[in-house]
Amino acid sequence: MDTFTALADPTRRSIIEMLASDGEMAVSEICKRFHSSPPAISQHLKVLRETRLVQMEKQAQQRIYSLAPEGMTEMEDWLVHTRRLWTERFDALDALLAKEKKKLQKSKHRKGRKK
Amino acid sequence: MNIPANELHFTRTFDAPRELVWKAWTDPKQIVQWWGPKGFTTTTTEKMDVVKGGTWGFVMHGPDGRDYDNRVVYDEVVRGEKLAYHHSDADEDEPVAFHVTVLFSEQDGKTTLAMKMVFPTQKDRDDAIKQYGAEEGAKETLNRLAQHLHHMR
Repeated sequence: MDTFTALADPTRRSIIEMLASDGEMAVSEICKRFHSSPPAISQHLKVLRETRLVQMEKQAQQRIYSLAPEGMTEMEDWLVHTRRLWTERFDALDALLAKEKKKLQKSKHRKGRKK
Repeated sequence: MNIPANELHFTRTFDAPRELVWKAWTDPKQIVQWWGPKGFTTTTTEKMDVVKGGTWGFVMHGPDGRDYDNRVVYDEVVRGEKLAYHHSDADEDEPVAFHVTVLFSEQDGKTTLAMKMVFPTQKDRDDAIKQYGAEEGAKETLNRLAQHLHHMR
């Protein structure tokens, strides 16, 4: 199977996108995110391994999956890059919003105390 | 042949009211605080004009001392609800001329952003791939980013 066909499946595409934004994940973690049965997910992971889109590493009792650098075409590189960029941006946005909320609460508190 | 999606979808919920989230996207003093990748600082070079056809010009200063010129053009603005834009050609950092649509919705004081990024045409996508592939620096950045993210875990 080629990478295009492998990526035609929406579950496999989700797995790729998940690994793109989260980095590496154990099989158990991956399975938790889907309604499909673990054997079905295993089958998807097998396809992704065989098409060299993902790689698997054994860490103690766990099987850890991550994106395989050589499997990626430039287009997919861009997808990974963009997802990670936006994850970072949204993390920073989270931090800013927490700050702005505090400011807002402080000013409301001050207004409330004025007689 | 089924080609990997030319669309990217991204959804995330923020623990803040919609007004605050909208402001974070449309106030030039706030957007520069979160827009840049880690290690970068962002400065506005062109007044941010959040209206249809309006622009925002900015520079991202990289940790290696390199400056990246950027410009965003707003295609659609519905205050507090929708922001659609694309990166113009002046953009070095994101050489891909794709369109981005962001939808803002609030529930129980939390705001959900639904983002869609689309390559406008097959040709644009091919051009973007060629341009992206030609950028040695971009691949290096990707590796550094990957390493950096790996260390963050």
